[in-house]
Amino acid sequence: MHLDPFELHRPTSVEETMRLAREWAGKFDYLAGGTDLLPNYKMHINLKPHVIALDAVGELAGHSLGRVGAMERLGELERDPEFLAAYPSVADAVREVATPLVRSSGTVGGNLLVETRCFFFNQSYFWRASLGFCLKADGDRCHVVPQKERCYATFSGDLAPAFLVLDAEVEVAGPNGRRRMPLADLYDEKGDGIRRLKIQAGELLVALHLPPKSRTLRGRYRKLRVRPSYDFPELGVAVAGSWDDERVRSLSIAMGGVDPYPRRFDELTDPLVGQTLTEERIRDLADAVTRAVRPVHNTFLLPDYRRRMVSVYVRRAIAEAKGAGAT
Amino acid sequence: VATPSPPKYRLLGRRIPYIEGPLKVTGRAEYTDDIQRPGMLVGRLLRSPWPHARLRSIDVSAARALPGVYAVLTGERYPTPFGVLPITHDETAIAVDKSRYIGDIIAAVAATDERTAEQAISLIRVDAEPLPEYSDPRMGTSKVGEPIHARGLLGTNIQKEVVQHFGNVDAAFAHAAHTVRVRGNFAGVTHAFTEPLATIAEATPDGRLTVWSATQVPHYLHRSLSEVLGIPMHRIRVIKPEVGGGFGGKSDPLPHEIVCAALSLETGRPVKILIDREDVFYTNHGRHPTQNDVRVATDSEGNILAYDIDALIDGGAWSSFGTVTTYYNGVLAMGPYRVPNFRYRGRRVYTTKPPSGAMRAHGGTNIRYSVELALDMIAEAAGIDPFDLRTRNALPPNSTTVNEFRITSTSFLKCLAAAREKSGWDAKFRKLPYGRGVGLGCGFYISGSNSPIHFTPKMPQSTVHLKVDMDGGIAVHSMQADIGQGSNTLLAMIVAEVLGVDLERVHVQRVDSDVSPIDLGSYSSRVTFMMGNAARAAAEQLRSKLVAAAARQLGRTPDALEVVHERIQEKGHPDVGVSFLAALHGAMETEGALTASGSYNTSPVGGSFKGARAGTAPAYSFAAYVAETEVDVETGEYHVSKIWAAFDCGRALNRLAVEGQIEGSIHMGLGQVMGESMNYRGSRLFNPSLLEYKIPMPQQMPDVEILLVGDDDPEGPFGAKEAGEGPLIATLPSIGNSLYDAVGVRFTDLPITPDKVLKGIDQRRREGRAWKGN
Repeated sequence: MHLDPFELHRPTSVEETMRLAREWAGKFDYLAGGTDLLPNYKMHINLKPHVIALDAVGELAGHSLGRVGAMERLGELERDPEFLAAYPSVADAVREVATPLVRSSGTVGGNLLVETRCFFFNQSYFWRASLGFCLKADGDRCHVVPQKERCYATFSGDLAPAFLVLDAEVEVAGPNGRRRMPLADLYDEKGDGIRRLKIQAGELLVALHLPPKSRTLRGRYRKLRVRPSYDFPELGVAVAGSWDDERVRSLSIAMGGVDPYPRRFDELTDPLVGQTLTEERIRDLADAVTRAVRPVHNTFLLPDYRRRMVSVYVRRAIAEAKGAGAT
Repeated sequence: VATPSPPKYRLLGRRIPYIEGPLKVTGRAEYTDDIQRPGMLVGRLLRSPWPHARLRSIDVSAARALPGVYAVLTGERYPTPFGVLPITHDETAIAVDKSRYIGDIIAAVAATDERTAEQAISLIRVDAEPLPEYSDPRMGTSKVGEPIHARGLLGTNIQKEVVQHFGNVDAAFAHAAHTVRVRGNFAGVTHAFTEPLATIAEATPDGRLTVWSATQVPHYLHRSLSEVLGIPMHRIRVIKPEVGGGFGGKSDPLPHEIVCAALSLETGRPVKILIDREDVFYTNHGRHPTQNDVRVATDSEGNILAYDIDALIDGGAWSSFGTVTTYYNGVLAMGPYRVPNFRYRGRRVYTTKPPSGAMRAHGGTNIRYSVELALDMIAEAAGIDPFDLRTRNALPPNSTTVNEFRITSTSFLKCLAAAREKSGWDAKFRKLPYGRGVGLGCGFYISGSNSPIHFTPKMPQSTVHLKVDMDGGIAVHSMQADIGQGSNTLLAMIVAEVLGVDLERVHVQRVDSDVSPIDLGSYSSRVTFMMGNAARAAAEQLRSKLVAAAARQLGRTPDALEVVHERIQEKGHPDVGVSFLAALHGAMETEGALTASGSYNTSPVGGSFKGARAGTAPAYSFAAYVAETEVDVETGEYHVSKIWAAFDCGRALNRLAVEGQIEGSIHMGLGQVMGESMNYRGSRLFNPSLLEYKIPMPQQMPDVEILLVGDDDPEGPFGAKEAGEGPLIATLPSIGNSLYDAVGVRFTDLPITPDKVLKGIDQRRREGRAWKGN
């Protein structure tokens, strides 16, 4: 397998990036760390003739407690003890992404926007051609749930759930300037494995902003996978909140690895605010989350098992939640 | 106070790092892909997208017309069938008439560069008629509409059937106090060697063909190239560069190797073929998916009365080593215990999937798993400790099995004793809290096949040549294939030991059929035993020349002299002597550079019935492992925290290499237990990548405590036996039995993924059968 040639562009500013994005609209991919895009290109998945590399755009780099540049490498967050201590759910998640080598290239933005995954999609051109192509690349039908409308590929980033529970916001640059919106609004819960983002083609994720109140929360991220490194999540559960023996002040749960987008379960957690977080309530909550998800058979572990683990992982994540807000 | 006796050998028994290690870790070692030849073309293969298809026509005209394309080959150009076993030649370099699995080679291209070659491949048009898919061996045990091969038994897809019966199994079962039955289902696993397959071929105007290839068995490649291409062996030169692991996956002559040579013959240019990771998965030849049915009978004391075994083995598209596999799935159950009555039926069935073949602990792994589970069940039923049960059934030294295997050395009882003591077994077995457990698994494996795959059994299995010139460096030639297991280092150690010289004087030469004497290569755990004996013989021959020269120089008789470090001296008078170099130069005065040759062949052993030679070996290794495992009973995830590995490889000649083999074997066995599996849906492989083929990560490795307890083997070189494959076998059942001790569930199928663990725990709870109070 080799990379087909493409024209590489290497802008140094957001403005220049926008100009290139307009010029090559529909014919390019952004390249962040490249740890997911380039393997897909080698498998001849959805190749584009132009690639806009973002590593030289200075504004996208770096991080502080309140802001994380979209091009910040995961390894940089991992080496910042202050950041990790402030955001325990992120601390868990960042250390669970792939391997140290991948994390030295992989970026925060790349992980938030990582392509959805599926057994029928993440395969070589030869493999996909021999079966018949799928909706998500080169074909017109889904092999997971046989039909021609909806793609069941799964969101497989670890960071999104961990940041979602912190009420993070994203800063997006587009042809008409900048806008800020909740991270949750980046993902289209009415979409599918293909149409999964609410930003427009060509829009650029600039940075992630973390509200000060998110620094005082307990948090935890738990990841189900076959092996303790390298593997994408078969299920990822993040929790954050503030509670003590008396009552819950806030509680959020988010999940990845199951649906085509990461999602929060506010309708299930909001009623707990003001309540005492008893074991029974945690168990009920975990069961309610389980009822709300329906994994399909497109990853290594069987969907029934992944679904069953939702309850266990939610329960354990809450029980183990640790960090600044712990009292 | 006992004073420790001085070590018997100067080098052997020590921990010696690989002599090529510095080159490997600095990237200077030369693997096949590192080799560049002038004007070299790139070879690419068109692989079948169909599980089973008749190839009506193949139109290569557009591919041939593409600028930069030098040759396009299809199957009819070199249709001579080949295969690793002389009796089952059912492969062709490129598919002829039919393709038999997704990934089968249909055509090949040589072009100036990768992109041109791939473009040419995409221009080849194949008109194919899909044929019935037979993805499950059960589909092929009776007459089928379209047999995968014409040579299948009576219109079925059965490639080989073995039926054996020794003693009287039915009578033994009729009188048994305890009988158990284990039906196991084993997913296929593959070698996943680090270096993907790679070959370079160069046909030259002098009428010769040189082939560099990542192979474990240069000699079989040499023979197959000659047979298929119709070129006498002496005009073909096979070179084995460094090889990054094999585990059996580079022991068959493989079609791409022959295709590469054919493309070079067609074009007159050097051609390189690299097989990428996905295609390595399709080339496979890994461990066979197997369904076995094992019944064991014992008396009331737990003495084994009989085994009754049936194995249904999924061969994939070709025979490969399959005839041997079919025998091994039965006969390798023969040790490490006395089995007075034995019945076996094994059937290996072709399927429309990538071919299975030989993989580390070939044929002995899956059956051993089932047998060791069965013995654990008997021990429980009879109220006997699993160690006691094994101890009372151990094969004694210098005995003969019911199928006439000759057993010489065995330290199996010492393995059992060491594993029991060091693991703290008696304080742990059935005594650890719910969710934690210990398990015992034992092993037994051949130390080299006594009856090699060879054109004439009268020729030696291994030959080693030595040459030493006035510089005092010793060149060692042998076709033994170091594939990372350390055989070059062992070869150097043996030569240096016998000659008394420093290791740095010994230069092990790259395998090159023009100059390397034949050794049958790295398979069946034969190298240390056979090459080691050949090397010893060669070095002793050289030593006697040096001693004779020293005797002349010193005015003594040769038998009055002894070889010590870099010196030959008079016994009892160390001041009377000459240096190694002085003796060498003295010897050279009469005959020039010194040469010596040593060889080894197995002596005839085994019975005379049909199939009697399968599983015979000049010696056997033995093992007893204890695994300790912790299960998360809510998720089914588990961690093997420690393995105590007691192993009998006779005398460990390079302890570092032996330890590496044992640790690597445990890692590989752990993989087959925890998650490695060739995941097929129908005939389609769903995980042809190292991301989705779940080799365990370092964090999953248990602590390993290695207990080398073997006594010297009478025929092994300096008392050694194999340590390359046997160490894998005991790993799997030790873990399986530890899971039972942890949660009370028998997991008969591999791999044991967390969902299966949870299902087993659920079922036991549903049945109201508490385990350790839960």
